[in-house]
Amino acid sequence: MIRLEDVHLAFGDNTVLDGVSLEVPPACIYALIGPGAAGKSVLFKVVAGLLRPASGKVFVDDEELGPLNEIELARVRKKIGMLFQNYALFDMNVAENIAFPLRRLFDLSEEEIAERVAERLERVALPGTEHRIPQSMSGGQKKRIGVARATIARPPIVLYDEPTAGLDPVTSQKIYDLVQEEQRAQDTTVMVISSDVAGVLTIADRVGMLHEGRLIFDGTTDDAKASTDPAVRQFVHGLTEGPL
Amino acid sequence: MAFTARAENVSPLAALKNVLQDALAVARVGRRTMHYLIRGKREPGSVARQMFAIGNQSLFFMCITMAFIGAIITFQTGLQSKKLVPDFSMIGATYLKLLIRDLAASVGALPLATRVGAGIAAEIGSMVVTEQVDALRMCAADPVDYLVVPRFIASVIMGTVILIIGGFVAYGSGMLVAQLMFDVSPHTFTNLSLVTMGDLVLGVSKAVTYGGAIALVSGQRGLATFGGSEGVGWATTEAVVGSCFAIIVLNLVISTIGYFFVPAL
Amino acid sequence: MGAPAAPVGVLLALPQRVGAFLLALATQIGGVTILLGQILRRLNPARIDRHELFRNLNRMGVRSVPIISATAAFTGGIMVVQAAPFVEQFNAKGFIGWAATFTTFRELGPLLIGLIFNGRVGANNTAELGTMQVTDQVDALRALAIDPIAYLVVPRVLAMISMMVVLTILGDAIALGGAMLTADLLLDVDPRIFWASAIERLETWDFFVGLIKSLLFGVMIALMSCYYGLATRGGAPGVGRAVNASVVASAAGVFIADYFSTFVLD
Repeated sequence: MIRLEDVHLAFGDNTVLDGVSLEVPPACIYALIGPGAAGKSVLFKVVAGLLRPASGKVFVDDEELGPLNEIELARVRKKIGMLFQNYALFDMNVAENIAFPLRRLFDLSEEEIAERVAERLERVALPGTEHRIPQSMSGGQKKRIGVARATIARPPIVLYDEPTAGLDPVTSQKIYDLVQEEQRAQDTTVMVISSDVAGVLTIADRVGMLHEGRLIFDGTTDDAKASTDPAVRQFVHGLTEGPL
Repeated sequence: MAFTARAENVSPLAALKNVLQDALAVARVGRRTMHYLIRGKREPGSVARQMFAIGNQSLFFMCITMAFIGAIITFQTGLQSKKLVPDFSMIGATYLKLLIRDLAASVGALPLATRVGAGIAAEIGSMVVTEQVDALRMCAADPVDYLVVPRFIASVIMGTVILIIGGFVAYGSGMLVAQLMFDVSPHTFTNLSLVTMGDLVLGVSKAVTYGGAIALVSGQRGLATFGGSEGVGWATTEAVVGSCFAIIVLNLVISTIGYFFVPAL
Repeated sequence: MGAPAAPVGVLLALPQRVGAFLLALATQIGGVTILLGQILRRLNPARIDRHELFRNLNRMGVRSVPIISATAAFTGGIMVVQAAPFVEQFNAKGFIGWAATFTTFRELGPLLIGLIFNGRVGANNTAELGTMQVTDQVDALRALAIDPIAYLVVPRVLAMISMMVVLTILGDAIALGGAMLTADLLLDVDPRIFWASAIERLETWDFFVGLIKSLLFGVMIALMSCYYGLATRGGAPGVGRAVNASVVASAAGVFIADYFSTFVLD
């Protein structure tokens, strides 16, 4: 479960989050949509405790992040897997990248680690790429390695930042299916940022729309499709006419 | 950082405040480094990798620089003593004492900071702007533990070693200049009569301190990088200037302590 | 370094590295010389963008005053602390003022201020030009029929050289203030004795040697930082590499220039 209460955050004079409150119920896929520079990625980093809000409260599994120090935050982050918008893969080979959270968080034997890595690579349709270097791979492949790294420790919460950006429609759908299957199998709580609104709505249970640092819509997927708010309508249906 | 031009038009008071804030930020990274130095788990080989990187990128550069520095200092000392006492017999003894007590560490640390500090800040800074540092934090790997600590250990060890090597190079080039310009034979020049154990202790402790300061200042600057690739350029600049400044301030502190507690003669 | 090292034996690795280093060095010296020629051509007749020049004078000079002042003050203090044991042993309190001014003017002032100036202004300049280069802004200037050398490089070079000299004069003064204060506190040398010994023995030439040096260092830092900035390739990571290379090359250049000018100017 994730809950934000009146979260404000600014970089200098640039207000990024301007009073955001939202709740993601357990075992739910929550799609976060909105135009570029609306503060979506920043909101993810606030949930993960990577950025501290200027005011407001953030709860992960009923634990408030505000009073926690970096070491206590690390305990909360163990529950969260995160796919970064720009992959954020390390300068190591694919297997080392994916195994990194396992090595840091658990005490497993090398055989177990290799087995889990192979299973993840199978799952993201990149079997046998253990020894390749991510920098030499395509954007879609890097995204999928990021997905494998985010989920290998089986965290109860997973945040996907633009899992399908720059991917062709077929691969995009495969990634969405993967996100949904993973969520159903583990009963995880999932948040997805996506610019591909039509695609992400096919798997989302709930939708939030962020615009200029404010949450201008929060409801079920069906509500989003039926919304009469002009900005939401325009964004969900991809219209050129409208306030955006 | 207050000393660089990123923020436009800062008043002197605000600049002073920024310097103090930066010093505090470095101190906080230093405290966490000490914490993890005692309790953190080292990735095997990470320190050795950093030691190789530091040695590989700076040894050649430092040898050339220190050769020139040694020659310049000997020449200036010779000029100065020519005016006071036209006797060059003690030029080597004085030079070696100063070299061991201060110059090898303090003058050599400035080019070292330029090379090593820029490298550390650029490397950590580009990991910050590509979100790799956030990814580390998501895996419960504190970037101070994972990135700064191995560089700190490596910089302390390799920095000291390189400054000592640089000291020998400066001694050699000084000897050459003394022979060529002032007709002082290497035998007369190599006079350790003025050097005490205290000088050696003081010089080595300076080298160790500077090595640590370079890593902490540059590591903190790297971690504080923001604003894409241009931000990495800024962080590099700030790391070099900040490290040099830290070295100069620490030099004054250590030298003053040395003046009172480590008798020079 | 880009060449595959695998087939080369250990014995050949060192000569190969030395050769690669010399080739790179020759390329850089050539590039800097060409840049110098291009700049000189645009100074005759001088058509300088006044706005850019003043902006850079402020940015590079005025804004460097805090760091230069702080560095100089500490350095002046350190100088006296280091000299203190010798002064006490030889009872040379009457000489400390001269020794401090001589060292500061001739060597320490220009060299230290040059190194700090290199770290702050030179690196900054490379980062800025490098970012403009990799984001195609330099080519955009060309497309607008604006000569990037005249518009970008000439004002920067002039600003850096003149500010380096001005900041050296300022730094010298502050370092001597620091030295005087430390001598008073640590060695009980009366400021009047400090200055008397300086005036008695110092020659005007000592001061000008330092100024000529600072001018040379300014030229060195200005040319290197502009050259590396404009030569930036390889997108975002290239800017970091360029800054690194520029700072190191300028520092080496400053030491080499110092070495030769020390001997020539005696």
